[in-house]
Amino acid sequence: MRLIDEGAEAKIFEAKVLGMQVIIKERQAKRYRIGQLDTELRETRTRREAKVLSALGKLGVNSPKLLGVGRFTLYISAVKGKMLSKYSGRANFSKIGEQLGMIHNGDVVHGDFTPANIMKSGKDYYVIDFGLAEFTRSVEDKATDVLLMKRSVDAASYKRFIKGYTSKGAVAKEVLKRLSEIEKRGRYQTRTVA
Amino acid sequence: MLVLGIESSAHTFGVGIVERGRILANEKSMYKITDKGLVPSKVAETHIANAADVISRALSKAGLKIGDIEGIGYTKGPGMGPCLQVGEITAKAIANRLGCNIAQVNHGAAHIAITKAMTKMQDPLVLYVSGGNSQILRLAGSTYKVLGETFDMGVGNMIDSFAREIGLNPAWGSTVAKYAQQGRYIKLPYTVKGMDFAFTGLLTSAIKLKGGAKVEDLCYSIQETAFAMLCEATERALLLTGSDELCVCGGVAQSTRLQEMLGIMAKSHGARFGCAANEFNADNGAMIAYVAERMLVKGLGTPLAKCTIEQRYRIDRAVVV
Repeated sequence: MRLIDEGAEAKIFEAKVLGMQVIIKERQAKRYRIGQLDTELRETRTRREAKVLSALGKLGVNSPKLLGVGRFTLYISAVKGKMLSKYSGRANFSKIGEQLGMIHNGDVVHGDFTPANIMKSGKDYYVIDFGLAEFTRSVEDKATDVLLMKRSVDAASYKRFIKGYTSKGAVAKEVLKRLSEIEKRGRYQTRTVA
Repeated sequence: MLVLGIESSAHTFGVGIVERGRILANEKSMYKITDKGLVPSKVAETHIANAADVISRALSKAGLKIGDIEGIGYTKGPGMGPCLQVGEITAKAIANRLGCNIAQVNHGAAHIAITKAMTKMQDPLVLYVSGGNSQILRLAGSTYKVLGETFDMGVGNMIDSFAREIGLNPAWGSTVAKYAQQGRYIKLPYTVKGMDFAFTGLLTSAIKLKGGAKVEDLCYSIQETAFAMLCEATERALLLTGSDELCVCGGVAQSTRLQEMLGIMAKSHGARFGCAANEFNADNGAMIAYVAERMLVKGLGTPLAKCTIEQRYRIDRAVVV
């Protein structure tokens, strides 16, 4: 088992199980918060992420496959490819938009939909890290996914992204309407995303 | 340069005097919070009544006369309109009489500036938590960039509102903290979205449990939940920025529990954690004077006729000096 990444919440390991490359995501205990809250957050989030991944599999979304679940641990399939935020070529943003449209059709929101969580794998695009994902019909939360992508890419890419998103997203029209409302809200007018 | 700074954005009318970054005086008077919370017009009336007294106290503490003052600073915003106006008018009156320059200071940027000075930090990741504000910030060029913030209310406002609703007296954070010492954990809504967070769900749920749960348990749980949310969002920002310094400032930064949690979190990532003394985390005039002096020295004063207030003067529009 090899540590390949450490996020704010989890350590990501890579291991070979029965000859297959497996990613192990383990949510770490945080000593700054009280034990009960810590355990509860890690348990619910692990369970929720597992449910999301299994739902996405059924929806046909390009995402890691769920192989197993522990109390604080997820076992998922490895996605081979290059992170979009590190890819310098011309990416097919329409295809990325289609993926988000499919995710939203399943009433799932990603919660951190940025190029750092998109993998280009051959001609396909995979969405990874559903650690902040949730099951919700909320138009607001869906619009927030779109907004995060809008702030992370250039205008031309975003336009193609929206084309793909609209072609798949059943609630795309409503989501985009809400997006323009969110952008008009005073508190965020001067806000730029990291 | 001898600079007098006036802070009046919320319940505190504060006057500080600074010379070459050294604080010579930091006096204040506070509006007494009742069961109605802060009524802006009433707070402003109190500030007007206290202004002259606080100014003379600050001057005598510093051993100065008003004529010695060479520059004036005041809080332009963000804050409550009627309250900000008292500071603005007072600053203009003094500047007019002395013929000195005026600096318009952003309240949040002043909290950060004084904290950086007190903790000797160069370029920290900042958690700014007060009544009206809860933001995670990092300097980018000459302005602060908001990495994460509250979607609804400031954490201080949330805790104060809770304290009022369940009948604590005085209705603010330190009373909640006192009761929390005897409390046990009850599950409450926890809302973090990446580096952003929201408090209204937590507040509503805690108030609904009034009568059904022990006050001590509610105080403990609302405090633990809210601070854990802030810590988690800040931790994400710390890893994203790779910063090796973390500081907390603003009124809520006075909480020893929040300081403890942030300290543990920062240490686990090898980052240094710091915060200023309570005197500077509470609203105060010294921080305004401190920033005003730096601005005036760099020629960033504003002509009297162009001085204004701005209730929603966002920190990411204030140039950092």
